Amino acid sequence: MNKKLLNLLLVIVMLAVLVPTTLAAPPAQEGQDYVVVADDWLSKLADKYLGNPMAYPAIVEYTNKKHAEDASYAEITNPDLIEVGWKVYIPSAEEAAAIAPAPPAAAVTLVLSNWHLAEPHWEKTIKAAIPLFEKEYPNIKVELQVVSYAEKDAKYATEIQAGAGPDLMHLAGYSIRNFVESGFLYDITPFVQKEPSGFLDQWYPELVEVLKYQDKLYGLPSDHMAMILAYNKKLFTEAGLDPNKPPTTWDEFVDYAKKLTRDRNGDGQIDTWGFGTVGAVDPGWELRFSPVLLSHGAAYLTPDNKCSALNSPEAKEAFKFWVGLVTDAKVVPPGVTSQGAGAVRVQFANEQIAMKIGSGWTEPIIPTINKDFNVPENLGAAPMPVKAGKTLAKTTTGWYSSWLINKNTKYPEQAWTLLKWLTSKESDQRWFDGARVLSSRRDVSGDPDKGLKPYQPIADDKFSQVIQAELKHAQINPQLKEWPQIADTVNKEVQNAFTGSKSADDALKDAHDQINQILAPYRTAGETCPAY
Amino acid sequence: MNQSLVSKALFRSIRLNTGFAFVFPCLLLLLLVLGFPAFVAVANSFTPVWSNVKTFTLDNYIKLQQDKQFWESLRVTIVFVAGTVSLHLILGLGVALALNTEPLGNWFFRIIAILPWTVPDVISGLVWRFMYDPTAGIINYFLDRLGVQNPYVEWLAAPHLALPSVIFADVWRGYPFVMLILLAGLQAIPKELYEAARVDGASVLQEFRHITIPGLSRMFQVAFALDVIWQFRRFGLVYNMTQGGPGNATDILPLAIYRQYFRYFNFEYASAMAVVLAVIMIAISIPYVRMMVKRT
Repeated sequence: MNKKLLNLLLVIVMLAVLVPTTLAAPPAQEGQDYVVVADDWLSKLADKYLGNPMAYPAIVEYTNKKHAEDASYAEITNPDLIEVGWKVYIPSAEEAAAIAPAPPAAAVTLVLSNWHLAEPHWEKTIKAAIPLFEKEYPNIKVELQVVSYAEKDAKYATEIQAGAGPDLMHLAGYSIRNFVESGFLYDITPFVQKEPSGFLDQWYPELVEVLKYQDKLYGLPSDHMAMILAYNKKLFTEAGLDPNKPPTTWDEFVDYAKKLTRDRNGDGQIDTWGFGTVGAVDPGWELRFSPVLLSHGAAYLTPDNKCSALNSPEAKEAFKFWVGLVTDAKVVPPGVTSQGAGAVRVQFANEQIAMKIGSGWTEPIIPTINKDFNVPENLGAAPMPVKAGKTLAKTTTGWYSSWLINKNTKYPEQAWTLLKWLTSKESDQRWFDGARVLSSRRDVSGDPDKGLKPYQPIADDKFSQVIQAELKHAQINPQLKEWPQIADTVNKEVQNAFTGSKSADDALKDAHDQINQILAPYRTAGETCPAY
Repeated sequence: MNQSLVSKALFRSIRLNTGFAFVFPCLLLLLLVLGFPAFVAVANSFTPVWSNVKTFTLDNYIKLQQDKQFWESLRVTIVFVAGTVSLHLILGLGVALALNTEPLGNWFFRIIAILPWTVPDVISGLVWRFMYDPTAGIINYFLDRLGVQNPYVEWLAAPHLALPSVIFADVWRGYPFVMLILLAGLQAIPKELYEAARVDGASVLQEFRHITIPGLSRMFQVAFALDVIWQFRRFGLVYNMTQGGPGNATDILPLAIYRQYFRYFNFEYASAMAVVLAVIMIAISIPYVRMMVKRT
């Protein structure tokens, strides 16, 4: 179906490209008088004499001008209606060009695919922005294509392998490296080399780095945010907690979560829980689990990405803490292992849970689920809690996404133009205004080292300023092709520990062993990984 | 030589060839649409088709043999198929027998009985996931109203409940097909047999044992073979209900293959898994094909 559409589109585009070029060379013609015969119409004349059927207004214009001086010329009041025997004036090509420059043909249509289009506030923002681009670059039309967040990777991978797919796509950190290393993307290095030096310095360097592979660059960074703790101030107050003093350490967090887990309607059943999180196998899972690892001083992998690092005492502590939230503290609603990111948002918006891990997208999504949730009053944001007594540079996950060009694109030049526009300072400011996402650009999200301040509306927004301030503590997840498999492995083992089918220790050990198996191709024959 | 015999043979060969000509486009299409991808998948499992480095290797199968998750998925798949197919047959037979008595408002009950089958399995999966939701689902709501002490049953999130819950949902989704085949079979059994049995004083149970069961056996085999093949390939329902979780509790093979291919881009490994699944299904379908061939 898509391929068919794409082919159709291709035919249209080809026609649009070819037709004007074959006809674009109008016979060098002096202006001349012409007497209308049967079966004439203006666009036909314009096509014949001016080489462009759309140039007919020039004939109308000149004929009417002549009519004013010389009544033997006809007066054309309706271009659709001319009579046999009328004398009209057909201008020369130059004259015609002076009057009505034929609008440049829409030469190229780029397909832009983005999961954000499925979210109303994002859809509105993007649909408002694209016409600005089309106005600036009249030769490029943009066709928007919606895709679901969970299915986008599979969809793109299939299409690209089949030699098709959208021209530009938007991917999240979970799978970017997989796409880069699988050879699915267009190498934009030559374009970047033509840009002024320092072009890539506009972005945070680690986010450019993830798009590089074998000295080539495969995309430009899009958003970048720190994961933070979102909480419901109203539920805090109801539970007797100070809504302006969110938990700062994990111990406090558990304490708070227990107090927030309550029976609010008095029917004897607990109906509100302290904390809700993603437990299903979901690309959003890693974002919520990594802060726990990081803030305990642990990591998924060894720095060389050759072995699992989940056997460290810190990792064990972090893993047990996380599992304990469900099995011991019981502050998470039942069914956590089947909750995806969307389901947790619904729980939060409907006040079933008081705290969750979120980021910039949380603020605008909540009211689309429950319009009665008073966001300015009740939505609180706080840095992720940390392990008491530890001082660590990185304590939370850095979310990031990128814009990428499909290696199959027929129009790399135009795609590059659009890519640059989508990641420009103005665009990233626009995305913040409409969708509250922070940018990978230093000149939008700020960079104290370079003396760059964040975009003023970010600094003014109570929720976003927490995310902005946390960027310095944010670390992106490991960057390798096998990352989705590694993340899913830990995700599944957390499920096993949540449900009690394995002890936390056994589950973590199994995760450790599986990851080491996945990473085997990175190790040379003699290299081994430490056992759990 | 007998003139008419020759002409008969000639006529027959022409008829056969015409038949072949009619079938040919369909065969060609099947070969292109099914045969080619199947060929690529098999080739891919031995050597990376989409890569520049092409060397024949059995590595994927060796890895498969050592992959605990694969064996676990295979085990889950077999439990899933055995559970759903047997319950499809039991429920399908029950409903078919009930409808065969032509109750008042027969057409109404037939429509009701067949409705689940008209819902795409992806949608069934979503609907059941919502119904099974521990806090917001309708099933736990009713349990709560019935006064059950801990009404937050984790239908899809508890490892021992997840697979039975998924099987239950699939029984609802899949029984109408079996029911239709068996109903058609029931209606093909001549009424006279029952009348004769009744004259001879046979009980209802004896009628069922000696007329209905033998009369249905062919249809039973058809329904069984088709259902087994289809259930081995079930994807949408389970994907939308659990994604294979929690852990590997509902991780049927099609999900594992999907994950390896579309999420991890391990094309060769996923192909090897798919080939194993295909071999199992072919082995199962051989008796069915032989049965069909024998009949014609």
